[in-house]
Amino acid sequence: MAKPMRKLLAVAALAPVVVLAACGSSGSSTPTSSPAAGSSGKTTISETGSTLLLPLISAWQVEYGTLKPDVLITTSGTGSGTGIADAAAGTVNIGGSDAYLSPSETSQFPGLLNIPLSVAALNINYNLPGVKKPLNLNGTVLAKIYTGKITAWNDPAIAALNKGVSLPSTKIVTLHRGDSSGSTFLFTSYMNSQAPSLWSSSNIGTTISWPNLPGATAETGSGAMVKGCGAIKGCIAYIGISYLSQTTAAGLGTASLANKSGKFEQPSTSTINAALATFSGSTPVSGSQSLINGTAGYPIINYEYAIVKTKQASSAEATAVKNFLTWGITSGSTSKYLTPVNFVALPSNVLTISRNLVAKISS
Amino acid sequence: MASVPAVPEGEAAHPPPRPADAGFRRWMRSGAIVRWLGFTGAWIPTLMLAFILVILFTKAWPAIQINGWGFFTKSVWHTGNQYGKTVTSHGITYVEGQEYGAVPQIVGTLETSAIALIIAVPVSIGAALVVVERLPRRLASVVGGFLELLAGIPSVVIGLWGVLTFGPFIAKYIAPVLTHIPIPFFQGDVGHGQGLLVSGLVLAVMVIPIVASTARDLIRQVPLLPREGAVALGMSDAECARRVTLPWVGSGLIGAVVLGLGRALGETIAVAMVCGVSLGHVATNLYDAMITIAANIVQNLETVITDPLGVRTYAELALVLLVITLLTNVVARLLVRRVSGTALPVGRGL
Repeated sequence: MAKPMRKLLAVAALAPVVVLAACGSSGSSTPTSSPAAGSSGKTTISETGSTLLLPLISAWQVEYGTLKPDVLITTSGTGSGTGIADAAAGTVNIGGSDAYLSPSETSQFPGLLNIPLSVAALNINYNLPGVKKPLNLNGTVLAKIYTGKITAWNDPAIAALNKGVSLPSTKIVTLHRGDSSGSTFLFTSYMNSQAPSLWSSSNIGTTISWPNLPGATAETGSGAMVKGCGAIKGCIAYIGISYLSQTTAAGLGTASLANKSGKFEQPSTSTINAALATFSGSTPVSGSQSLINGTAGYPIINYEYAIVKTKQASSAEATAVKNFLTWGITSGSTSKYLTPVNFVALPSNVLTISRNLVAKISS
Repeated sequence: MASVPAVPEGEAAHPPPRPADAGFRRWMRSGAIVRWLGFTGAWIPTLMLAFILVILFTKAWPAIQINGWGFFTKSVWHTGNQYGKTVTSHGITYVEGQEYGAVPQIVGTLETSAIALIIAVPVSIGAALVVVERLPRRLASVVGGFLELLAGIPSVVIGLWGVLTFGPFIAKYIAPVLTHIPIPFFQGDVGHGQGLLVSGLVLAVMVIPIVASTARDLIRQVPLLPREGAVALGMSDAECARRVTLPWVGSGLIGAVVLGLGRALGETIAVAMVCGVSLGHVATNLYDAMITIAANIVQNLETVITDPLGVRTYAELALVLLVITLLTNVVARLLVRRVSGTALPVGRGL
């Protein structure tokens, strides 16, 4: 009698994990109800932060939940800033971030690690149903579009980059993120890096004062960018590569962007890897590095980071976080998980850096 | 168990409670508890307001000093390059290049609330008059019920409807008509359903049920006698409403409008979804992207949450919103006093 009963209890205890995991794979977030660790022998790891990283973390959560039933992982897409702040405050174990910690954050919160997990990219999408071939764009043209110096798609500056493409005279409608966003940071960094005279460094950030353009629209979250751009003919938007299948389904084009050498590249595993190869050799032991505007490959890529406090609340939590992150950057970084979100695995030397950073976590 | 009278040994340390003695009972009856509760209850809201003001002010103080008067004169919102150099002044260390001027947000907050009230007040009072004086009792209670239901719709739901349905509808069908009005502020690119006009209208939708249901309850209290008198004097329904019914409850109506204004000023998420988030400039026409203080706080606090100056600037912003709300309340109270003092044309001695 006792044995089946125990089995039943175990199933009952597992049920929430399965439900959470199911939510994680379909929706954008799962509730972060985190019962105190240990009450049922389970260790809870909580993650909040970047929505660009969320699809990958959610996939990991599902798989890891079945591999390690004694660890309960909760995830939530709250934005990178909240991820960093929550991890610093110790309210979550892992903060997901598109950006590494800034010097000011590092000095404010010593003992906070940014551990590279994977490599992502940012796409420039546009809604021009008549144009089939991917458009070539560069930072100068993008900065001119987003400052209102170029207002129509058949502008000579765009035509010069796209010889032989017949461009419509459609008015350009710029979309930008209304909420605080790592994508905005990457996009503005690229424009500043390619055209510093048109896009000043004071306009790099997760929230910026966008120039006032007629009809310009703000969207909250990557999904809303896809939806908004799909509804407006002539729109241009910047959307994380993990939403590529959705932008394609919405009929949006993906631009080929100029890298530092002036070569136009489509975002893909090979171009991301090519860009990565120009940077990864110089990734510092802290893992903090900007990967914008490389001399080869696709020019807007970034490490996705887990922001983790070196000192965790308990040894059980520290072990669980270490095991989960180690699993994520090794077994979790196979094509099974990365292909659906179009991410690229860490190069071996960065993987070593990440492993060393994970090893610093203790209780 | 209940039949066992003996006290278990384990509970010997806790003697059973003594029966309430006469003194205690008298103390209970004297109303001291009620008085004490009332006293505390009266003080808690006051203390809470003071507490919030003090906390916000102390949090914001370095930002107030660093941002200076520019905060109220400039239209700029640079959160600085988080990877740039840091500077230390006024006791905090922050990244350089930050510059904050909240004019677009302050103006945006006032503009959207004004649009909301311009539309909501006549509609609400008209609806209230019709519900009370025109509709048959049964229908009136149904309509009234719907008004109250409308007031209960969570603002995020209204925001969702605004961004997906209402905004695009306005941009496609209503705004192009409005551009024919020969006032510069009404002309320009009508956009795609985000901006000043849609924000104001969404707020109006939220304000109408609040003002209308309060106005309905007020108008119901107007006695029949003066209204009959007005009709007997040969006044039309409209005249009766304008000269007798509404003045009778004038101060109350202003109170209702202030309630609505409070909602409009502080409304956050619905506006954040339809405003277009333009931090750096004041809307130049009715369809321009804009921002309100509350919407900015909810959308972008995350960016600066780890930056000492940024987070304090948002505290300053919150303080400004609080002061605007308090000021409008005070002004409204003065208005109420004026109205109830002199503007009642109908004798109260009826």
